[in-house]
Amino acid sequence: MLTRRTLLLFTVASAGAFALGPTLRPAVAWGQATSGGTEQISQASEFVKRTGNQLIDIINEPGSMAEKQKLIAPIIDKAVDVDAIAQFCLGRYWRVATPEQQQAYKQLFHSVLVNSISGKLGEYTGVRFTMGKSVARDDGVVVSTTIQRPNNAPTAVDWVISMASGSPKIVDTIAEGTSLRLTQRDDYTSYLAHNNNNVQALIDALKRQISG
Amino acid sequence: MRRRLPLAACRLAGLVVGLGWAGLGLAACTSQSGSPSGIANAAGAADFEQNNDPLEPSNRVVYAVNDALDTAVLAPLARGYRAVVPAPVRNGVHNILSNLSNPVVLSNDIMEAKPRRAGDTFMRMLINSTVGIGGIMDVASKWGYPAHESDFGITLALWGVDSGPFLYLPVLGPSNPRDAAGFGADIALDPFTYVSGGAWTIFGYTRYGVTAVDTRERLLGEISSIKKTALDPYATFRSLYDQHRAQVIDTVRHDNRSTPPSWYPQPAPATGEPSDAH
Repeated sequence: MLTRRTLLLFTVASAGAFALGPTLRPAVAWGQATSGGTEQISQASEFVKRTGNQLIDIINEPGSMAEKQKLIAPIIDKAVDVDAIAQFCLGRYWRVATPEQQQAYKQLFHSVLVNSISGKLGEYTGVRFTMGKSVARDDGVVVSTTIQRPNNAPTAVDWVISMASGSPKIVDTIAEGTSLRLTQRDDYTSYLAHNNNNVQALIDALKRQISG
Repeated sequence: MRRRLPLAACRLAGLVVGLGWAGLGLAACTSQSGSPSGIANAAGAADFEQNNDPLEPSNRVVYAVNDALDTAVLAPLARGYRAVVPAPVRNGVHNILSNLSNPVVLSNDIMEAKPRRAGDTFMRMLINSTVGIGGIMDVASKWGYPAHESDFGITLALWGVDSGPFLYLPVLGPSNPRDAAGFGADIALDPFTYVSGGAWTIFGYTRYGVTAVDTRERLLGEISSIKKTALDPYATFRSLYDQHRAQVIDTVRHDNRSTPPSWYPQPAPATGEPSDAH
């Protein structure tokens, strides 16, 4: 009786494990130090710390929002792999776009992203941040930080750092579980799906956004 | 949208709407189990699968209605609240509301079988209701018992219930059958639901009204920047909601801290302590 129940449980459990297998695999890859190992992890974490401190020094200084944004933009420009994010955000439409469209889109995306980040950061004051742990993932290193602002609950922000270009670059930020590039891609691909899958429509919309 | 907007004009109506929509969603879910019609290519079908939004056309209608309501009523109220009431008072109001929600949070912590989280919530109730003067001040956070999210939608997820398709609910906003059912269950779990009559009824409505305005006020900046920068705000809110819920559920699932509190002697952690950067 007991053995039959154990066997039944085992069968159910292994069937469950089989069904879960494919979904579990990425989670395992997350925890492993894949390419590069500990040196890359500490390099990425140092990079986040350095860039964060640079930004915070500007943010917490007295000065107008416009002045701050002007100082922040070049730092973002250098620290972020804008082209990689641009390509990611277009999703499957990247391959559909003509080389000219790709080029035009990349340039527009660049101003959209740098404007939006420096615009947002320029509004902040009295920011503090603490470094958390860093974990290697197959597309880079994820560096966790906690950002504190007056009158706001502490926000957990993870930075995905890629070494693909040789030097560490930010390819994504994940604020309280929401990924910047994933949200942006969902926005763009949905817009395209509702505009006859026409990449030109997206380019025109981005143009309007920048001028507007 | 960081958090589900917990606004209910009426508790019972909320419950009925929540459960009604949950039923509708489940019905639609089973009828949509085949391959989606009207999508010509494989890539489009992949997008369809990923968005998990077979009810998108009707969801967008509800979104448009909610958005109009928000623009006409809730957002102006939230802006007025911010303009008239000073920040320290608003924080006090927020803390009181958060303290009032603790019984529901505690019930869910327990049903999620997370003793340390339940302990945190219990200590928050105890400390903030007394030292924090009826919840006005969040002393517990400073004493090492920070607030966390917990609701019956999360509990159901930990029990293995699938979210079902994305749903945009009237008034309540982004959700899914699981979280909508969770919303209804949370009302049933709330001890304040069962005290009514006279001042208590007024208290109940006031609490829901103030919660709506408080939540909206906290999201004023974020929502207006999404509406300004997103090309498809509906898709952006959907993406943010799904990602945020997945992350919260993941956090709860992996929060297996032991029960002894921080002041009790514990073995040193194996990994290095996080260092202060600034």
